Amino acid sequence: MEFYETTEGRLGLRDIPPVLADLLRQIPHSGDRDSDEVEERFFPHPSHDPEEEGLRDDWRAHVEPELHDAFQSARSVVEADLRGMKDGDDAFALEFSKGHAEAWLSALNQARLALVTEHRFTEKQLSGARPSQIRNERDLALLQLTLYEYIQHWLVEVLEP
Amino acid sequence: MKVVGDVQEAPAKKARAKLAAELPWSVVVHNDPVNLMSYVTLIFRKVFGFPREKAERHMLEVHQKGRSIVWSGGREQAEFYVQQLHSHLLLATIERGD
Repeated sequence: MEFYETTEGRLGLRDIPPVLADLLRQIPHSGDRDSDEVEERFFPHPSHDPEEEGLRDDWRAHVEPELHDAFQSARSVVEADLRGMKDGDDAFALEFSKGHAEAWLSALNQARLALVTEHRFTEKQLSGARPSQIRNERDLALLQLTLYEYIQHWLVEVLEP
Repeated sequence: MKVVGDVQEAPAKKARAKLAAELPWSVVVHNDPVNLMSYVTLIFRKVFGFPREKAERHMLEVHQKGRSIVWSGGREQAEFYVQQLHSHLLLATIERGD
């Protein structure tokens, strides 16, 4: 798989193996989980001070709905881009506007945070060696995390001021 | 965001609220094992306009010490920054400054 940037302001991935194409298609869904723990991570309290209950209520009422819409919007942009993924003989290719890079970063971050929260990966597990075989959903989640992290690193480089 | 209702507040309560708003407030970013170091640096540069060295210094402080005070000042601006950081899925809170 290769990342590239065109002179016309488009970003792309080519020579994507089918298994990685499947994992890419899961980005918008991985970040869209109906779980209290994931919700808690996506919408953290703005203060740890017990005297700031008013701020927390206000945050829940006004800020969280805005954040919810922003996260959903980023996932929708990525979902639409992924629908344009082209199927080659034995590999896939994907190109999208550089203007979508921030939406991709957000959707990838959402997916990674949701996967880590759901599977309760520890910091040690995240920085340790990846499994040599994919035997269950947890192993697959680690593979997803590795791929998404790799793409995020590339997008950060692209967006560096 | 300002947490003030329509109800007439008692003068003492008003004075306390005014004082709290004037106190220095800190924006604190907390460590989490998922956000990439390069991503955190990028977000600090974007949200606060930090030069690369300053953004990296704060990022490393978060990573090594578990938290970093990235900004101090008025309450409303601190809340705005926390909202910006949450929109990038960073763990951030406001705290009363020293």
